[in-house]
Amino acid sequence: MDTKIKIKSTNLNVFYGEKQALFDINLDINQNEVTALIGPSGCGKSTFIRCINRMNDVIDICKIQGEIEMDGKNIYAPNTDVVSLREKVGMVFQKPNPFPKSIYDNVCYGPKIHGIAETKDDLDQIVENSLKKAALWNEVKDRLQEPGTSLSGGQQQRLCIARAISVNPEVILMDEPCSALDPIATAKIEELIDELKTTFTIIIVTHSMSQAVRVSQKTGFFHLGKLIEVGTTEKIFKNPTNNMTQDYITGRFG
Amino acid sequence: MTKEQRLQKRYSAEKRFKWYGIISICMALLFVALLVTKVLSEGTSAFVKSTIEIKLNFDQTALNLPEKPTTEDLNAIDFYSFAIDQILKTYPTSNRDEEKELIKLFTTDFEFEVKDFFLANTNLLNQTVSFKITASSDLDQLHKGNYAKNISEDRRKISNYQLKIYDHFIQNNKITKVFNVYFFTNGDSRNPEIAGIGGAMLGSFFSILVCLIISFPIALLAAVYLEEFAPKNKFTDFIEININNLAAVPSIVFGLLGLGILLNVFELPRSTSLVGGITLALMTLPRIIIPCRASLKAVPPSIREAALAVGASKVQSVIHHVVPLAMPGTLSGTIIGLAQALGETAPLLLIGMVAFVVQVPANPLDPSASLPIQVYLWSESAERGFVEKTSATIMILLGFLIIMNSIAVYARQKFEKKWI
Ligand SMILES: Nc1ncnc2c1ncn2[C@@H]1O[C@H](COP(=O)(O)OP(=O)(O)O)[C@@H](O)[C@H]1O
Ligand SMILES: [Mg+2]
Repeated sequence: MDTKIKIKSTNLNVFYGEKQALFDINLDINQNEVTALIGPSGCGKSTFIRCINRMNDVIDICKIQGEIEMDGKNIYAPNTDVVSLREKVGMVFQKPNPFPKSIYDNVCYGPKIHGIAETKDDLDQIVENSLKKAALWNEVKDRLQEPGTSLSGGQQQRLCIARAISVNPEVILMDEPCSALDPIATAKIEELIDELKTTFTIIIVTHSMSQAVRVSQKTGFFHLGKLIEVGTTEKIFKNPTNNMTQDYITGRFG
Repeated sequence: MTKEQRLQKRYSAEKRFKWYGIISICMALLFVALLVTKVLSEGTSAFVKSTIEIKLNFDQTALNLPEKPTTEDLNAIDFYSFAIDQILKTYPTSNRDEEKELIKLFTTDFEFEVKDFFLANTNLLNQTVSFKITASSDLDQLHKGNYAKNISEDRRKISNYQLKIYDHFIQNNKITKVFNVYFFTNGDSRNPEIAGIGGAMLGSFFSILVCLIISFPIALLAAVYLEEFAPKNKFTDFIEININNLAAVPSIVFGLLGLGILLNVFELPRSTSLVGGITLALMTLPRIIIPCRASLKAVPPSIREAALAVGASKVQSVIHHVVPLAMPGTLSGTIIGLAQALGETAPLLLIGMVAFVVQVPANPLDPSASLPIQVYLWSESAERGFVEKTSATIMILLGFLIIMNSIAVYARQKFEKKWI
């Protein structure tokens, strides 16, 4: 298959104040693939994916050196508009964080502020499509006006996915999206991720090796702020070249 | 010491500590109970007033009216002489002094009471009706049992002759107590029987309104800026410390500020609720900024991230999500700040809101008093009739404070969002 590189990070160094969190990260993310990032806690996985939608801008002490290119354009170039970048790069967080508003309002917020929908009907359509894509429509179609926070944890996370895809992003970042969920909800989300990759490019941080194997095509292993090894998921899990990777995936540390 | 002894000692220490707590709570409750009983026992009687029933004979000739009276004729009636004539019929007097003493048992405003009554009921022409005229404060106090009768005449406000008239009225069932509307509608007066807190209530209302209009938006914006946008540096810390200091500055200092700047430099009108409101706003600002910041801080960061992640700008995430979610806290903080401002006296004294104002203010540019100032003014007054009015005003003021604080608590509980 012809794979196109969607995101390319070159010599990315990230500092929190004096402390360096990422060291010279060079990583290519393929379009319409799921890339899994694994590694022990505190190794910088979240820091890395938060660089891709410039979520780290919010943190005062965070300094970034190097480049991240998306479709060949450096997103840290001075003329980049962060808002339109985040419109293209959606994010799903570790803990489901729906707005304390209705299910409908949760999904329509993005399209509304970006002026994607012209009419109320358009908006209804977007909400429906997004919820369908997030495999939540059947469960909530009769109670769109109920608060998003009244849903179960797994449903809330799918609502957050629906909210992320409501603005038609090209990339979706997921930071341990299943760590707060039970196995059944996790299975649903994994199924969903598999489907979503036909439309979106997905980067998922996960602590579960089996999840990485199930959903991803490419895997990167981080350790202490360095990208130790990256390759197809099959290769990383069957035949890692680095000893540390070997140790981590076999559960000898982490 | 054995293990048992130590155990015993610990148990008794805990018991002692519990009792200290209970005693302190009882003390606090005792003080509250004292305050409430004093205010209630003194103040409730101010909500009723004594009236004297008299016969009014609206005789055409007595009123000096032509056959078909026009509005002008009606307005030209000399109600003073008419009312005096009617009053003198209530008790047989033998000389001018006795007449004067009789008239003094009625409110000084009797003329206007009769006038208002007749002009509202002109169909009563040539009829005789009984009408309740407000009694003078002295008779009112006597009737309410606040004057001792068994002391020598020269130390009494009511003469022996007046006592005789009073007894006569009582025997004929002429004196009745009615609800005191004047207390709520009238402005201040030298005569306790017609003095009311209408002016003070409106004055308080206008100043609190001005205070709200000025302080709430400024405080909210300041809090939002400090909490969401300000860079975390020394200068921001410095501002933060000073806001906390400002909230602790004694209120009279803000009065001096209002006097020095609003009155002397900007020459705004003295004694008005506009100036009072601005002065109170200066005082209230830091007291609102602090709870506003606290409630903004309580909005979980995950909400901000959620908004930013779908491409909301920083301002959008704040206006669409953070501020509305912080609203219950900001509103209750504001209401509590306003309640404090409502009870504030010292700064208003300095900007001249302590003036004696008879006219009920129609807008914030009219001179006016405020409720706590009215309490202060009346508590200074020697007249016995003002004592109950002072306590009644305190009751009204406390009532407003309780209502405002309850709304604040209710707003917070009702609209508070529960996060997962
Ligand atoms: N906001 C922050 N301020 C300071 N240090 C941070 C911040 N966020 C993360 N770090 C540090 O950066 C390192 C990487 O963290 P993170 O990217 O969250 O790791 P992971 O997601 O892989 O567990 C950690 O050592 C962590 O302490
Ligand atoms: Mg993480």
